[in-house]
Amino acid sequence: MFSRKCPRAVALIAFAVFISTGFVFAQSDPNPNSPSPVLLEGETNRALAAPADKSMKAAASKANRGGSDVFSPDQEILLYVAETPLSVDEDANAFRVYARDANNRIYRFPILGIDKLSQDEQVYVLRIKLHDEIGFWPQPQPTGDLLIQVSWRGMASNQLLLGFGKTGGLKFDPPKKAADEKNLGDSDDYVGYRWSGDRKRFLEQATFGPTKDLDQRVRRIGLRVWLAEQFNAPYPSAANPYPDYVLKPAQQDVGCPFQRGTPEYIECVRTYYTQYPVMNWFFKEAFYGDAQLRHRVAWALSQLWVTSGQTIQQSSHMIAYHKVLSAHAFGNYRDLMKDMTLNPAMGDYLDMARSTKNTPNENYAREILQLFTVGLFMLNQDGTLQTGNGGAPIPTYSQDTVNNFTKVFTGFRFCNVGCPNSTDGAVNFKDPLVLQQNLHDVTAKTLLDYPNAVNKNIAANLNGNTELDLALDNIFNHPNLGPFVGRFLIQHLVTSDPSPAYVSRVAAAFNNNGAGIRGDMKAVVKAILLDPEARGDVKTDPFYGKLREPVQLTTNIYRQFDVLSADRTQPSDGVVFWLPQLMGQFPFYANTVFNYYTPNYIVPGTSLLAPEFGIMNTGTAIQRTNMTTIMSFVNIDPDPGATWPTPVGSSIDVNDLIQLSSEDPTGNSVVDELDRRLMHSTMSPEMRQSILTAMAPIAQFDHNFKVRTALFLIASSSQYQIQR
Amino acid sequence: MKESRRDFVKKAGCALGMAGLATQFVHFGRMSVLAQRSRDAAKKQGSLGTTGYKAIVCVFLGGGNDGNNTLVPLHTDSGISNYNDYAAARSAAGLALAQGSLLPISVPAMGNLSYGMHPAFGQQTNGNAGIHPLWATGKLAWVTNVGTLVSPMTKAQYQNNSIAKPSQLFSHLDQVNQYQAGRSDTFSFSGWGGRLSDDMNQSSNPGGLIPMVTSIDGAALFTAGQTTQPMAIDDSSTPLNEVLNPIGFGNDSWSQARLAAFNQIRSLDLNNNYVNAASNVTEAAMQANEALSTFQEVTVGFPNTGIGRQLKQVARLIKKQADLNVERQVFYTERGGFDTHNGQLNAQNNNLAQVSQAVRAFYDEMVVQGRESEVTVFMMTDFGRTMNPAGSGGNVGSDHGWGNHMFVLGGAVNGGDFYGVDTSNGTPFPNLTIDGPDDATSNAANARGRWIPTTGVEQYAATIARWFGLPEADIPLVFPNIGAFSTSNLGFMG
Repeated sequence: MFSRKCPRAVALIAFAVFISTGFVFAQSDPNPNSPSPVLLEGETNRALAAPADKSMKAAASKANRGGSDVFSPDQEILLYVAETPLSVDEDANAFRVYARDANNRIYRFPILGIDKLSQDEQVYVLRIKLHDEIGFWPQPQPTGDLLIQVSWRGMASNQLLLGFGKTGGLKFDPPKKAADEKNLGDSDDYVGYRWSGDRKRFLEQATFGPTKDLDQRVRRIGLRVWLAEQFNAPYPSAANPYPDYVLKPAQQDVGCPFQRGTPEYIECVRTYYTQYPVMNWFFKEAFYGDAQLRHRVAWALSQLWVTSGQTIQQSSHMIAYHKVLSAHAFGNYRDLMKDMTLNPAMGDYLDMARSTKNTPNENYAREILQLFTVGLFMLNQDGTLQTGNGGAPIPTYSQDTVNNFTKVFTGFRFCNVGCPNSTDGAVNFKDPLVLQQNLHDVTAKTLLDYPNAVNKNIAANLNGNTELDLALDNIFNHPNLGPFVGRFLIQHLVTSDPSPAYVSRVAAAFNNNGAGIRGDMKAVVKAILLDPEARGDVKTDPFYGKLREPVQLTTNIYRQFDVLSADRTQPSDGVVFWLPQLMGQFPFYANTVFNYYTPNYIVPGTSLLAPEFGIMNTGTAIQRTNMTTIMSFVNIDPDPGATWPTPVGSSIDVNDLIQLSSEDPTGNSVVDELDRRLMHSTMSPEMRQSILTAMAPIAQFDHNFKVRTALFLIASSSQYQIQR
Repeated sequence: MKESRRDFVKKAGCALGMAGLATQFVHFGRMSVLAQRSRDAAKKQGSLGTTGYKAIVCVFLGGGNDGNNTLVPLHTDSGISNYNDYAAARSAAGLALAQGSLLPISVPAMGNLSYGMHPAFGQQTNGNAGIHPLWATGKLAWVTNVGTLVSPMTKAQYQNNSIAKPSQLFSHLDQVNQYQAGRSDTFSFSGWGGRLSDDMNQSSNPGGLIPMVTSIDGAALFTAGQTTQPMAIDDSSTPLNEVLNPIGFGNDSWSQARLAAFNQIRSLDLNNNYVNAASNVTEAAMQANEALSTFQEVTVGFPNTGIGRQLKQVARLIKKQADLNVERQVFYTERGGFDTHNGQLNAQNNNLAQVSQAVRAFYDEMVVQGRESEVTVFMMTDFGRTMNPAGSGGNVGSDHGWGNHMFVLGGAVNGGDFYGVDTSNGTPFPNLTIDGPDDATSNAANARGRWIPTTGVEQYAATIARWFGLPEADIPLVFPNIGAFSTSNLGFMG
C-alpha cells in the first residue's frame, strides 16, 4: 500500500487513512467513457446537411440525402449527430462544430439550437450558422469544401466534407482509427475503478502526478471515495509542516546581523528574505504529501489570487498568504475573498494596506474585480460572453465602480501593535489587516450592478468592517462568479478550452452545492473532476487538453519514478524550483499580478486557446527538452562545496524498468510500461517504433541507459507534454 | 524586482549541485555537427550584403511608466503649464522632482522652452552614460501625449460618450494589448511587430534562417503575427550558440539515434491541435538553433541588468545579421516594475536608469557596428499615470493614467524635438492642470489628471513602420484603424 521508500511519517499517515476508508467499494463510479459522436453521412465522406429555413424536423425529412448541396456564408444549416446520449443538463452548448479550410485554418461555427429527430431514434439535429465565432481568422471564404467535425465531452466525431460556396478543393484524409479501441491493460480483476486510462488521467488532474500507490488506491476505492478522503486529509503532511519563520525587519542587514558574504549571512538571507524555503516546502509537499488535491487546488488558486516574491519580501509573508489559499481551497469562495482581501501579502502586493481616504490607491479595487472575481465582461452561465447592441460585449463595471470600491478598501492597515504576531521592528505580515476607521472613506458608495444586485448601494458613515462585508457580498453574488472561477479552475486542472456546457455545469455547482449554498469549493472541485468531459480513458477531440505547466511537468516525472534524494536513502530536499524556472515558470515569483500566463492566451498563427502556451516559445521549448534530459538521465546531486546545511538532491528510480528490459531485451516491455504509466496507453505505433529504434544501438547490457532513453523520448515529446 | 535565475541563485547562495550536473554532462557534448553542416550549406548559397538592413527594437516599460515625471516643464513661462504648475500638483504628496535635478533640454516645438528629462537619463554614479546627451546630438526624440484611441477625442466627447473609447481604459492587460496590437478599435489577437512580419518577411527576408521577429522577453502580443511566429530566446547571460541548443546530444551513435527519434517524434500524432502547436514551437527552435551555432561577441560593455542583457543579445544578433540572411528584423525587449502605485521615487529612478544605460550601451554598440542609422530603438508602455499622486511620503506613487511620452532613438531619428499631435494648448505637450482641458476625468473628487492622448498609438507605430520599409499601401493592413487619424507620419523618422 505504501512505498517502503517513503519517509516514515508520511507512510504512517497513508497507512492510517487506508485503515479507515480502505474497504469502501467503488460501485458509485459509473463507466466514465462517453461514446464518440457520429456525424451522419450523406454521400460518401459528405455530411448530411440541410438548410434551416424550415422548422428542424420538417427540414430533416427534406435533408440533403445526396450531400452535394453547397451552402453560403452566414447561412443557417442543420447537421445530424448520433451516439450522443445527452444527460438532462446537456443542451446545444454541449457540442462544438469545427471546420477546417484548404488553408488549414480552423473555424468554429455557433450552434443556435438542438432538437431530437424523433423520440425513438437517438439522432440530434444541430442548427448551426456558417459564421466563425472564434474571430482569429477572417471569415472562411465560400471557395470549396470545408472539413467539419463535431466534438462532445472531449470526444471527436468522424470528419466529413461540407460544400461551402462550391464543392471540391480540399484534400480529404480518411479519418484514422480512433485510439479508444486499444486495450488499456485491464486485468481480470474487475473490482473497483478498473478504467486504467481514466485513473491516470484523473490523477494527472487532481494531483501533482500519478504514483503506483495512488493508482492502486483509486482503483480500490474509486474516484468519489478518494475525493471524499482528500477533502478531509490533513494538510500539510505531518512530515512537512509549513515552515514557521519569525517576521524580520525590512532591512536585510538588520534582520541578518552577520558580516555580508559570510555563510551565516547568506543562509539567513536565503531563509528569511527569499522564497527559497517556500519553494522547497512546496515541492516536498507535491512529491510526498497525502493531501494532493488540496495542494493542487491551492497551487491553482495561487495563480488566480497572484502575489509574487518579486515584491513580497519574506518567506514568512508568503507562507501566511499560502495558508489562506489552502485553508479555503475546500471552503467557501466568499471566505477566501475576505481572508485574501485582508491578507497582508496581498495588501502589500496590490497596495490596499497603504490606501487611505485621503491617499486612495485603486490597485486592489481594480484587480479584485478584473482578475479575481467577476472579470471585465458580463458572462452567460456557460462562460460565453453576453453581447449587447451590435454584438459588443457588455462591460461588468466602469471606472466609476472602481473608484467606489477603492473607497471601500481604504483604511485597512498592517496590525503592527496588539495582534498575536505583532513584532517590534517588523511589519506584521501574519495577522490580517485591521481597520483604522479614521482613515476609512465613509462616503456612500455605488457598487456592482446586476440583476437582483446585492448591496448595490452602501450608505454613508458605516463602519469599515461592516462595509467590507457588504461590498464583498456585492461581488460574491454577481452572476459572473460561477463561470469565471469555474472556467479558470477547469483550465488549470483539466483542459484549456472547455465546452460551454462543462463550464455551465461547474458554474451551477458554484451557484448551488445542492444544499442551497453558493461558493462551496468542494462542490466546484468535485463537479470539475467528475464531469463527463473530464472523465474517460481517452479523449479524441483535437481541441482537448492542455500544455503541462513547467511545475506539473517536473512533479509528474519525479512522482512517476519514485523521487528520493540523490543517494536514494531519504526523501528529496525538494530543491527543484530551478527546473520550472528555466522553463519559464519561477514558482512564487510570477512577473506580474497576471500570473505566469493569462487565461485567454491564443497561440500565434492558430486559433487555439491555450493559457500555458504563454510561456511556451522557442527558448522555453528547448529548456523543456533540456530539463527533461536532466530529469531522465541525471541525479541532482547535493552540492559538495556547500557551507550551509547541504541539500540532499533528487533522483528517480527506474529499477523496475531495468528489470523489464533485462527480461525482454527487445525493449517492447519497457515501452509498453512507460506508455501505460505516462501516456495511459495512447502511444501511436509510429512513436513506439521511433523509440525502439533509438534504443537499438545501445549496448545490450546497458539496460539503465536504454530505459532512460525511452523515458526521455516520451517525456520530451509533445504527445506527453500535452496533458489530455 | 525581476531577477534572472543566476541573480537569484547568487543572492540566495544556493548552489543546486550544478557543478555536479556539469560533470555528468561531460560525455554528452553538443549537437554541433548538424549545426555546422547547415551553416556551411547556408554559406555556400552566398550571404547577402548588408545594404539596406534595418531593424527596430521595442523597449517596453512594463507596468506603465509615469510620463509626468519623465518629461517635466522646467520653464516658468506663465502662458503654458510650467514647473510651478507641475510642482503644485505633486509636491505636497512628495512626488515632485526637484527643479535642479532635472536634465534640461531645449525644445524647438515648444518655442525653445526648457523641459527636463528625469535625472535617471543622465550619467549615473556607476559611471555609465545615459541617453540624455543624445538629445543634443539629434539622435533622441520624444513623441508626446501618445495613447490608445479609437479616434481622436476631446474632453467633452470623452465625458458625453459621443465617441467610442478604447475598451477598458486604465486596465493593464487591455491597454498593453492595445499598445502592442497597434489598434484600439477592437480586440486583437496579433501585434503590430508580428503583422509587420506577416506582411514583409517573405519579400524582405527570402531565405532568412530565423524569423523576422525576435523576443528576448518571452511571449508578447507585439511579436505575434497572424501567420508568423516569433523566435524567443534568453538574454545574453546565455551565449547565442547555446540559447536554443538542446543539451545531452553528442556525436556517439546512441546520441544520434536519440536525436533522430526526438526529431521524428515531433512530426507524429499532430491530430491533436495542442500537440501540433507544441511540436511546431520546438521545430522552430531546432531550426533556429542550427542558424545560431556561432556568433561574435559585441564590442561595447553592456550593464549587467535584465534590460542590459536583453539589448546585448539583440546586438549580438544584429552583428550576425549577414549570416542569418535577414534584411529586416524586429526585436522586443522589456523592463518591468513601472507599475509604481507606491514607492515610485526610488523605483522609477532605478528602472529608468537601467533602461537609459542599457539603451545607451546599445546605441554605442550600433555606432561601433556602423549601424546606428539602420537601427531604431523605440519605447512603449502600458499607459501614463495619474498626475495626482497615490499615497504620500515615502510610499508615494501614482495610479493608472492614459496619455504618455515615448522616446525614439537612433541615427535615423530626427532627434532633439517633441513630436505628436497638438493638445488643447496648441503644442504637443499637454496642459498639466488636473480637471483641466486635457484631463479626461473631472469633478473635483474624481479628477486625477489622466491626459486624453492626442497622438494615437498607431500613428506613432506607423511612422516607425514606414521607415522600416512597410509599403505605403500596406500601412492600413498592418494598422487597420489608421484611417481614423489625421496622419500616419508624425515626422520623427528621417
